[in-house]
Amino acid sequence: MHSLEAAPTVSTTETEQVLTPSFESHSQLRTVCLTGAPNAGKTALMNALTGGSFHTANYPGVTVTLSRGKSKSEFGSQLLLVDLPGVHSTSAVSPEEELSCSIIEGRHNSVQPEALIVAVDVTQLERHLRFASFVARQHKPMVIALTMMDLLPRAQQSVNVRKLENAVGVPVVPVDGRTGWGAADLMRALHLELKDAAPRHTSLADLPDEPVSAYKTIRELLSASGALKNNNQFLLARDSFTARIDRVVLDRYFGFPIFFAILVGLFSSIFWVARPFMDLISWLFSQTGHLLLAVLPVGAFSRFLAEGVVGGVGAVAVFFPQIIILFFLMTLLEDSGYLSRGAALVDRPLAYLGLHGRSFVPMLSGFACAIPAVLAARTIPSKRERLLTIWILPLMSCSARLPVYALLLGALLPGSAWKAGIALGVIYVSSLLIGALVAGLISRLILRKRTASLLAMEMPVYRKPLVKPTLRITWTRSSAYLKRAGTPIIVISSCLWLLSNFGLGSRQPASAEGTRAPLVAASDLDHSFAAGLGQTLEPVLHPMGVDWRVGVGLISAFAAREVFVSTMAIVFHVSESADGQQGGLLDNMRTATFSGTSKRIFTTSSIIGLIVFFFFSLQCLSTVSVVRSETGSWKMAGLQLLFYTGLGYILSSGVVTGLRFLGVA
Amino acid sequence: MSLLDALQNECYQVEDVAGPADERRRLLDLGVTPGEELAVVQSVPFGDPLVVMIRGMRLALRKREASWISVR
Repeated sequence: MHSLEAAPTVSTTETEQVLTPSFESHSQLRTVCLTGAPNAGKTALMNALTGGSFHTANYPGVTVTLSRGKSKSEFGSQLLLVDLPGVHSTSAVSPEEELSCSIIEGRHNSVQPEALIVAVDVTQLERHLRFASFVARQHKPMVIALTMMDLLPRAQQSVNVRKLENAVGVPVVPVDGRTGWGAADLMRALHLELKDAAPRHTSLADLPDEPVSAYKTIRELLSASGALKNNNQFLLARDSFTARIDRVVLDRYFGFPIFFAILVGLFSSIFWVARPFMDLISWLFSQTGHLLLAVLPVGAFSRFLAEGVVGGVGAVAVFFPQIIILFFLMTLLEDSGYLSRGAALVDRPLAYLGLHGRSFVPMLSGFACAIPAVLAARTIPSKRERLLTIWILPLMSCSARLPVYALLLGALLPGSAWKAGIALGVIYVSSLLIGALVAGLISRLILRKRTASLLAMEMPVYRKPLVKPTLRITWTRSSAYLKRAGTPIIVISSCLWLLSNFGLGSRQPASAEGTRAPLVAASDLDHSFAAGLGQTLEPVLHPMGVDWRVGVGLISAFAAREVFVSTMAIVFHVSESADGQQGGLLDNMRTATFSGTSKRIFTTSSIIGLIVFFFFSLQCLSTVSVVRSETGSWKMAGLQLLFYTGLGYILSSGVVTGLRFLGVA
Repeated sequence: MSLLDALQNECYQVEDVAGPADERRRLLDLGVTPGEELAVVQSVPFGDPLVVMIRGMRLALRKREASWISVR
């Protein structure tokens, strides 16, 4: 497992989670936690012990989702295994490390391990044994799983497991999580420890907490027992394979070109490989909607189901292919060991802006979606850098903005795809540059006081990633995303559907029979609550040069930005024609005028104004809710919502007014 | 001398670790302790961070962090 990996596997929940039925059924099993430093091979071990069937689980009262699974039945009576986030240092800094430490120390309410498995990388014995000593001090049954045995020859070392076991006083079992070798022995040793529950006195638990003397004692322990042999005393000769790759990927001239080539590759797959799948998903959902309308009896409820609910689910699902590809490639990059090199490369420029080398992972993910990006910010150890990274993430041009930009650029630059393409490129690059500018300004003007901040980042050896665990992690993360982002979007889009399809009865056009209208009645959009809200807001929209109909679109975009496009199609009365919705919508937008006048709504200046608004505005309530749960308060989430939406409004109004002043319509 | 002045691919011994308390503790936790052998094994395009090898681990350190470590 890699240091950058821990974040997205665990995902946050907004409030206390309700116990899931599957959690209940596991509760009679004894809980064993899997712990270790990052990169110690925990995830592969988890995979081997559970036979690949582990899932993320929401524990009540915790804001972190941990992966858990039942041990394979062939390993004796089943145990509930819980994979804890990796711990670098027990003088804990990052929120994940703090969680792991509290569980290990038994300070946690809902995860109470009866025993612990500590993954110890055999090529990093001294450091990982020191962490193991922290675990041993809790006097719970424990077993050390010795991982990365296959790397010993590369490190030109050899280890005598028996002597090591005698030296530390805790059972030590060599395993290879990637092949499953040694997993049965590990579980046997664990069951023996669980049976013999009397707390044992071990030399590992006797190690001092203070690092300098602890490391000294560990070294003495290892050399006195003869457990570790270094065949090559020369430090630099170890693992020349990794050194050779590092010389290329961190090269003064080739380092950045290689980094950018990898990023370009990643982006192109997110956008082009995902395209056909996204088209397929959106087709499937629109067909499902049509089918529901055809099958169910005509009425408000079936329309709510077809348009509000299915449409809402579709709005989330359409981005799923992108998210899967993003997580898959990110996991590959992490497991290979490259991701930390990338972080080292960009640390200098990012540190200049008050960010951290690791901030590049969330920023990159932000171009797909801000939600996994906010979660990925967890691996940034210092609070200041983590919060600043989260602060600028809404600026990264996420894919939900893409359909909006496509529509607006189509209206702005009709008939020249290449100009629209260039404009889109400019928008993407500017979003990165403006994000950098905002980070730099805030860190220089507002967060001037420097608080603890440290790179000190481990760069693991290069390894070939394994396909199966990578796919499993990808799936775990993607489905967690779907749950996380999907719930608010579906709720909000259902509410918005109700608002735009019902209205005050008194405002409905009088019916032929002249019956008294009910207080709330089914309504077309023009007379709905949403329209009423849009009309109330019209004076506010005036500086942006648009009317209430666009206002309704802007409000609906808070469910998810791309909803703007479908709302525009409704407000500008586009019937699905043979030449596709987009073409019809563009025609209707081109001829749309402010009601009662012949003044066009969509002019060069108002379209540019809308693009500016979407560029800045935080129109995504799912992001707001994720930021709230990640930062632990509404303060930052609310401030971010007000800041970016306000900034978008002011800049967009300024741009429209300025352009009109200069004579641009 | 400071780790910043260390020659690449030469072995040195950590003499002392200074710096603010929290950061110093983290460096010690990572195994950067007095008496330990280390070497700068790789430089990164901007010259910052630098990659040192210590206790069989590659560690990327910012210049700011490296300046707290004195070696001989």
